[in-house]
Amino acid sequence: MSTHTERNAASGIAFGAILVGVGGLMLGLQIDANGAWCGTGLSSLAIGALLALGAIAVRVASKIGRMPRDELGLAAVAIGFFGLAFAIGGALAPGGPWMFLQVLLLVAVVALRKPDAESGRWIGNGAFVLLALFLVFRLWISWQGSQLRWQVMSVDVPILSWLPFEFLAPISRVSLGSFTPLEMGFPPAGLDFAPSATLWALGFAAVIGGLALLQSSTIEHENDRIHALIRTLPPQVADVVERLLPEEEWRGLGLHGLPERQLARRIESTVAERVRRQQALRRAVEDTRVLGTNDASGFPGEIRRALEGQDPTGDVR
Amino acid sequence: MEKKVLAGLVAAGVLVVLGVVARTLPAPRVTLADEVVEEGPRIVEPMQFLSKGAVLRAAELDAWVAEERRPRFKALRDLVFHVADCPETNEWVDSAEGQRLERLLAELRSGKREEAFASLVLVFRLARATEWKPGILTQTPHANAERMGGLVADWLRAWGERGARDPLLAEPTRAAVLVYGRLMRTAQQAPVIGTNPASYERALKTVGELLGVDARRRTALGEALQARHPEAMRKLVGDMDRLRGLDDDAHTLFPDLDGECGS
Repeated sequence: MSTHTERNAASGIAFGAILVGVGGLMLGLQIDANGAWCGTGLSSLAIGALLALGAIAVRVASKIGRMPRDELGLAAVAIGFFGLAFAIGGALAPGGPWMFLQVLLLVAVVALRKPDAESGRWIGNGAFVLLALFLVFRLWISWQGSQLRWQVMSVDVPILSWLPFEFLAPISRVSLGSFTPLEMGFPPAGLDFAPSATLWALGFAAVIGGLALLQSSTIEHENDRIHALIRTLPPQVADVVERLLPEEEWRGLGLHGLPERQLARRIESTVAERVRRQQALRRAVEDTRVLGTNDASGFPGEIRRALEGQDPTGDVR
Repeated sequence: MEKKVLAGLVAAGVLVVLGVVARTLPAPRVTLADEVVEEGPRIVEPMQFLSKGAVLRAAELDAWVAEERRPRFKALRDLVFHVADCPETNEWVDSAEGQRLERLLAELRSGKREEAFASLVLVFRLARATEWKPGILTQTPHANAERMGGLVADWLRAWGERGARDPLLAEPTRAAVLVYGRLMRTAQQAPVIGTNPASYERALKTVGELLGVDARRRTALGEALQARHPEAMRKLVGDMDRLRGLDDDAHTLFPDLDGECGS
């Protein structure tokens, strides 16, 4: 089982990394109105890299999100860093005041967010949804720009726009959120929206898919590492240890990312503590049997039967 | 680490580097056909032929017209450049000379590019020498501007796309689009009360096809106009009065093309 899951985790990391690479490449390109390929610029990627760095720093500082200890895990983190930078760089509006608002939101939702204690993922679904919304906004303003409409939207002023007088034209429509081709980073010939948008959307999906796969595979890979250490014990002892320390609790116990020796010590101390707790509990249960209770009905009766290992229905387990 | 996994990680690393490098790919600069310097004998500074001072160089065009058409061209060129008293466009074009000119224009349009250019020069001259500004007391105030616009549109339909790619014709073609917009906007606004929607719609359809405004990709002429007259293009796409940008730019380039013979 161990070798099989290890292979799965490693393959997952490799495939996730390739997805991130392909997506990053797609997000870095655009097609101008003459059909020529050109880059989308480095500024949004730089902001993405800074936020990704912040997210990794917060992850390292948290108890449950320590950095992995082996080459494969570290490679996954490195690619994850680029993946997050690509995703943010691809979803951010290329310029203008919106970008700063988006960066503030991302600082709160992505960079300063601690890894989820339950799933162990350092980029949650909320962050993915927020990035997807930003991408939709980017696609919208790119569409507007590709149609030479340099505003987020324009609204007809009621009454004024209905009157057929030319002199009212300047005040009969209000532009909301104006921007310029320079802010948008458009190529001089203009943007060919359809292929560029397709490229960005597919690239974004690939990066997000790659990141999700990297995260789950990295967690699985760390679990495999801990499992391998436990399996160095005699099989029966290893089984007991794994029953005492179920896999679902390893991340919560802070076992992920610990160096080999510290990991062994942490497992030893946790096993010792849990065994002590089990023994104390067993003694306490024995004591209740000695003391006993005559009342066999109602709530006390149910508890007594439970402590004796019986079903509430009266069947002995 | 398994070889396959290692290969996957190496490939991913290469892709990541490519993803960063790709962002630095420079956008190609838009090079318009009129920026290309041709070798050999050519008509230099073609826009001078479309300006008010065209009369000073108009005779140079004779040498570029095919021999069988040259005598007729010289005669009509001389005639058009000496139209006096600012007749109405319709009235002049419907005269015997006007009809001869129309036939010659059609012949020149089907000739080589220099002949096409010569025909455009004659159209521009006609736009300067005849009156197409709407009159107040006429029943069809838009008719003269429509007629003049029709002559420009005929030329644009024949040479618009080719002209945008031709070093000689690129700039004159853009000028022709602007002037067409000016003429048709004049026709649109000809009625004293309200506007003439038929002229407007006709103009939008013609310009839309020429520039590829509503198409997925603009035509070469559309790209050239976008590069040199972005505000006109912006208004053409998104303004309530879509011909206004073309009209404004035509007015800037040719202030004397006012429909009243520059008076």
